[in-house]
Amino acid sequence: MFQNRAEALALALPAAIFAAAVFLVPVVILLSDGFRAPTGGWTISAYTDFFSNSLNQTVFLRTLRLSALVTVASAVIGYAAAFAIVSLEPGAKGKVTGLVVLPLMISPVARTYAWIVILGRTGIVNQAFQALGITEAPLRILFSETAIFIGLLQLFLPLMIISLISALENMPKDAIPAARVLGANWFQVFWKVVLPLTKEGLVIGGTLVFTGSLTAYITPAILGGSKVLMLETLLYQQVAVSNNFVAASVIAFILIVMSFAANILLKRVATARNKQRSQA
Amino acid sequence: MSDASYLSLEKLTLAYGDSVAVANLDLDIRKGELIALLGPSGCGKTTTMRAIAGLLAVKSGHVRLDGADITRMPANKRAVGLMFQSYALFPHLSVYENVAFGLKLKGMRGTELETKVQSGLKSVGLSTFANRKPAELSGGQQQRVALARSMVMEPKVLLLDEPLSNLDARLRLEMRTELQRVQKETGVTMIFVTHDQAEALALADRIVVMKSGKIEQIGSPEDIYNRPTSSFVADFVGFENIFPLENGKMKTSAGLIDLSGKAPSAAGLAWRPRMVTLGTGPFQGTVRGTSFAGDAREYLLDTALGPIKAEVEASQPPHALGAGLTFDLPAEKAAPLSRFV
Amino acid sequence: MTARSLFIPITLLLVIAFLIGPFLIIVAASFSAGETLAFPPQGFSLRWIAKVFTVESFRASFGMSLFLAIGGTAAALVLGIPASYALSRYKLPGAEIVRTIVSAPIIVPGIIVGLALLRYIVVPFQVGITLALFLAHTALVLPYAVRVVSASLDNLRSDIEEAAVLLGSSRLGAFFRVVMPNIRGGIMSAFILGFVTSFNQVPVSLFLSGPGVRTLPVDMIAYMEIVFDPSVAALSSLLAFLSIGIVFIAERFLGFSRYV
Ligand SMILES: Nc1ncnc2c1ncn2[C@@H]1O[C@H](COP(=O)(O)OP(=O)(O)OP(=O)(O)O)[C@@H](O)[C@H]1O
Ligand SMILES: [Mg+2]
Repeated sequence: MFQNRAEALALALPAAIFAAAVFLVPVVILLSDGFRAPTGGWTISAYTDFFSNSLNQTVFLRTLRLSALVTVASAVIGYAAAFAIVSLEPGAKGKVTGLVVLPLMISPVARTYAWIVILGRTGIVNQAFQALGITEAPLRILFSETAIFIGLLQLFLPLMIISLISALENMPKDAIPAARVLGANWFQVFWKVVLPLTKEGLVIGGTLVFTGSLTAYITPAILGGSKVLMLETLLYQQVAVSNNFVAASVIAFILIVMSFAANILLKRVATARNKQRSQA
Repeated sequence: MSDASYLSLEKLTLAYGDSVAVANLDLDIRKGELIALLGPSGCGKTTTMRAIAGLLAVKSGHVRLDGADITRMPANKRAVGLMFQSYALFPHLSVYENVAFGLKLKGMRGTELETKVQSGLKSVGLSTFANRKPAELSGGQQQRVALARSMVMEPKVLLLDEPLSNLDARLRLEMRTELQRVQKETGVTMIFVTHDQAEALALADRIVVMKSGKIEQIGSPEDIYNRPTSSFVADFVGFENIFPLENGKMKTSAGLIDLSGKAPSAAGLAWRPRMVTLGTGPFQGTVRGTSFAGDAREYLLDTALGPIKAEVEASQPPHALGAGLTFDLPAEKAAPLSRFV
Repeated sequence: MTARSLFIPITLLLVIAFLIGPFLIIVAASFSAGETLAFPPQGFSLRWIAKVFTVESFRASFGMSLFLAIGGTAAALVLGIPASYALSRYKLPGAEIVRTIVSAPIIVPGIIVGLALLRYIVVPFQVGITLALFLAHTALVLPYAVRVVSASLDNLRSDIEEAAVLLGSSRLGAFFRVVMPNIRGGIMSAFILGFVTSFNQVPVSLFLSGPGVRTLPVDMIAYMEIVFDPSVAALSSLLAFLSIGIVFIAERFLGFSRYV
């Protein structure tokens, strides 16, 4: 009954054509802008121009650095949290997991806005610091890399925790006790047993967090302000302030290449792991 | 339409893309007949059934049913029932609603519908399960629902694709009887697919043996069991000693051999283990294996002709492993094969 | 208590405080009686919550976001359900290409999608901003619709449709009688996931705004840059409770999390 190809195409094509027309074609044209020479023909001079500008370099490196830091921090905190959660009773586990997932339902604007209240000049942190006499004048925490880091970490940590929870739950039940019996200390247990067995979950979570941070707009826009830019906010400025569409295309291309690279890396690591397992 | 061809397949060729699964199939089925489709995995049984039902487009040839050419008729207009191996019950509907599904589409409503569904459920012994969902039934009960769902539609032909293969041995026997009873009571024309020759022999009026998309032999259970016409069918129904003939002589690994008695003009000869005479005869063999099967004892002999399987009554004194034996392959007992493949 | 038994509650407390705390602070701040955003709140009042409803631009952008979330998700499902059906039931030539095209909008950063649409659809074809937003949000939700609906179709046997057809139903009838009732949960879940995604989406909509035409989150960002009063906090809390409520109800009645 499902052999008719014309039927299948008629069902699938509207969606494919829509996505191609509204999304694929415009995006591909946009990306090609950065390679087009003003005189006709193709060139990568827009890219050399982009990377020779020190502000752009700073923004590029900052984006990479912040995304990497957020990924590492979320992995460290994520393991601790996921461990704690899987060791709970089933009922409590469900509730706590719910609390971890809850922020994902809340608008990122609202979640990021909260940090203004906390980190601002008259925010909780500054009030506390002054009350405790740690600082005299309010610290400038907002509009800094630190603020962006905190905001991104809070935004994406749940994704890492969820990935790690499912990885830990899929781990053979007796792997840790077995390693303990064999005399491994907790550090060795983590490094030699838990990490290899949960690598897939870590990689999935890591890719989500890394690409998420790389392409986040709201957090750097609200917590970084107009001075501490990341690639997305720089792209926005190039368009909205400088009307520089070529630079925008260059940044877009860089963002896409980096996201794809991270995604491909995920697949690589995950399949390498499967091979190992099937050989064992 | 003659009575002998209520359902007929003419030069039916079926394909998936470019790969042909069934080629040039001809088959005539009488009204009210119970046909078993027997053959090894992948020979095209399911494919043939799906084409009769209209779920698979015919590449070439014709399907005729009750005097009409239904080759291009949509599946929902054919009045052909199909019972799936997986039952394919609607998971969101109750047993009652499953059985009522087709009747409602026919426009049946009210007490007529109610009566019909209830009697369908009653005929398979499931009246008290009307309000259950399929997931709340056992495998055998689900199968009965599927049977009732097809039967209330009063199909011209009911097709059953391996109806019994998902059931355990006891239920299988029970459902076998049930199918036979329903068929006799309603007189519906039935085709069922099976891997199991015992099932085919026990149930069918006629058996169709298929091999790689073609029919090897059609015949009554007696025909198929006693008079296989090809080495393939012979092997399928338990003739384990099969040899080709050349100029009336048997072709073996020891060369061409004259048989005692009259050699028939055939392409090959086949013997069941039980037809082999042990203790006398022109041939020599060594016992390489033996197995006890309650009322009989089976021997595997190493011979110059190749391996030979023989079976004798268990009351006979046993032969030890390694013992030398004489034996005979009596030509008059052998099934003559017109085709050797 | 050993160090280990303390580890679990302390870790959980810290992590949950970090994840949920800011949200609670926002909620508290929205009940403030003071003029500026602050915590702890100065007094208690509902004035900022009330103010949210009086800000004209919020009303308009809320309407726009609601329209995009409902309309865009519905459109994505209208396109996505047949496509998912073709992908899961047929051996489609080029199935992988189709799958990649329809799910690509999820991989490409939203800001790029929005900009590309602005430059190569809105400007050359003189498309209105509202229509452009609608197209963008539909494309954005399409990958989720296809993913969730495909998953429920893959979990449903295809032979029940054949059974329905043999019992006299048409192909389309079989789809509505035996497929739809069995994937309804998946479709509703796709709708909710799409709704929340679209409603909270910012980057796609950044460049697609014109005079008086903006989505709510973009409007909120613009507003908070100018006005430093607790009304954005109040609005954020209201929206948060709205989405939590929707997802909570969905989980109760659909087992939402099975599908996402
Ligand atoms: N959907 C399909 N696409 C392509 N080839 C198919 C398809 N279904 C079956 N075939 C091929 O057609 C041939 C006949 O298959 P069919 O399912 O009819 O065999 P069968 O006799 O029912 O086997 P079984 O006893 O295992 O059920 C096989 O070679 C099979 O590989
Ligand atoms: Mg089959």
